[in-house]
Amino acid sequence: MNKLLIVARKELRGIVKTRNMLISVFFAVWFSVMTAPVVKTTGSAPIYAQFDNLIFYMVLMLGLFVAYLFTGLVFSNEKREGVIETLLCTPLSLRDLWLGKVVGVTIPAYLIALLTAGLITVIGNIGSPILVLPSPPVVFHIILVVPAFIAVAAGLMGFAQLMLGMRENRILNLVIFFLVFFPLFFARNAIRGYTLSWFVIGGLMALALILLAVIRYLTRYLSKERIVTSIA
Amino acid sequence: MKEIEVQNLTKRFNGKMVLNDISFEVKEGEIFGYLGPNGAGKTTTMRIILGLLKPTTGKALVFGEELGRCDELRTKVGVLLEHDGLYNGLSAYDNLDYYAQLYGLSDGAERKRKIEELLDFVGLSDRKDDRVGKLSKGMRRKLGLARAIVHEPEVLFLDEPTSGLDPEAQIMVRGLILQLSAKRGVTIFLNSHDLDEVQRICMKIAILQNGEIKAYDTVENLRDKMGEPRIEITLSDSKYADKALKILNSLDSVSDCEREGSGLTVVTRADTQSSTILSALMENGIGVEEIKRVTKSLEDVYLDIVRNGREE
Repeated sequence: MNKLLIVARKELRGIVKTRNMLISVFFAVWFSVMTAPVVKTTGSAPIYAQFDNLIFYMVLMLGLFVAYLFTGLVFSNEKREGVIETLLCTPLSLRDLWLGKVVGVTIPAYLIALLTAGLITVIGNIGSPILVLPSPPVVFHIILVVPAFIAVAAGLMGFAQLMLGMRENRILNLVIFFLVFFPLFFARNAIRGYTLSWFVIGGLMALALILLAVIRYLTRYLSKERIVTSIA
Repeated sequence: MKEIEVQNLTKRFNGKMVLNDISFEVKEGEIFGYLGPNGAGKTTTMRIILGLLKPTTGKALVFGEELGRCDELRTKVGVLLEHDGLYNGLSAYDNLDYYAQLYGLSDGAERKRKIEELLDFVGLSDRKDDRVGKLSKGMRRKLGLARAIVHEPEVLFLDEPTSGLDPEAQIMVRGLILQLSAKRGVTIFLNSHDLDEVQRICMKIAILQNGEIKAYDTVENLRDKMGEPRIEITLSDSKYADKALKILNSLDSVSDCEREGSGLTVVTRADTQSSTILSALMENGIGVEEIKRVTKSLEDVYLDIVRNGREE
């Protein structure tokens, strides 16, 4: 089996067994239960637009948040516990190691995002006189844009966690939480009532692809010496 | 055949010299001991050989190539670093299984057979399903050793393999290392500051002090080269000690003589026989209860080097 897939499978299995997985499922259920019924009570915008906005925002937000939780598990812990040094002595290339972990994080985080999308759709339709489904651009968003952004988040955070020391990583985690997740949380008000067109979703997809290309370029700077000398 | 070759290796960290022009080689099947006090540069040397750090100048080659530049070459190398490289959350079996896959053991049945054989080899068959986090330090070290050889490497790097273990576990790990060398012909690079361990299992050693190699030879040769011949004498009556000291110091074959309690320690020239010393004392009416030639231990050689290094 490809070494990248061996790493991805190991990380995936590891994540599934952790408490963070349960927490993530709980968040998916909790946010879906708390937000989906709101769609039916709103009167300020057409029900379809409200539903699209909610699913667009919640799926992306939860996907990124879960990626944040899982990335810490697979990158930080390995470095803190010193396992990474032994891994770097195996025939695994540094790029395969990084990418395997990114894939290992992206798959479960995306599954949580899909669970959120499914739950919001189901709960939103309970007791509804009409069937409300996401519009084609939002379906595209769920299928392609969300996993791309989860991969971007996992890739960037993983890269930073490999390159930076443990203290810098703790600071980085706080920065990400306050500069990324808080603004994202409040961004929901800004997009409420806004129609999500192909243009918007396409723009996001383009942004995700650009970010993936940037990360791919950044991985050239991954170095074993930097990783080893920044172990706690 | 040379399996590990270090040529004029120098490493600086932020301008500070950590390794200064070190060179040595390890031949096929050898157990090589790399000795030195904490902070001497042992781990840095090992990291450079393993391709984890880049040398400032010089080369570190394994099988004639740099490990850091050749992913596939690393399948021939096993590593047990200061950290065991084990995942606390995985079972003993799953840890070995993961590393076996990374080293290219793709056949599931063969991998299972190999892992079970190894768990038996290190005496952990009955703990194979236990999470590593629950194992004692000794068990972890043994499992770490099993992990390091799961792919049957030709060269094995061990960093303080018995550090922190109880005496029984130390003996067992040393036994495993000797078995690997004797039965499987594995070349072993052993980083250690445990003189006893190195003396017991290594064929050749290098002593590192302040980033420089101060001695490099077989244990026997080092003792012969660096240890001056000594004779310990116990007099039948200690009242003759001063007289004996005077007589012995006047002999050409004696380079130094010191009183130690009721006895004397005599440092002789290389070809001096104990009988020459004994005759000189007997002729002067000094009775000798015991006379014995003492070989300088590796510990003495090591301490001399380390102390001299500190004085420099």
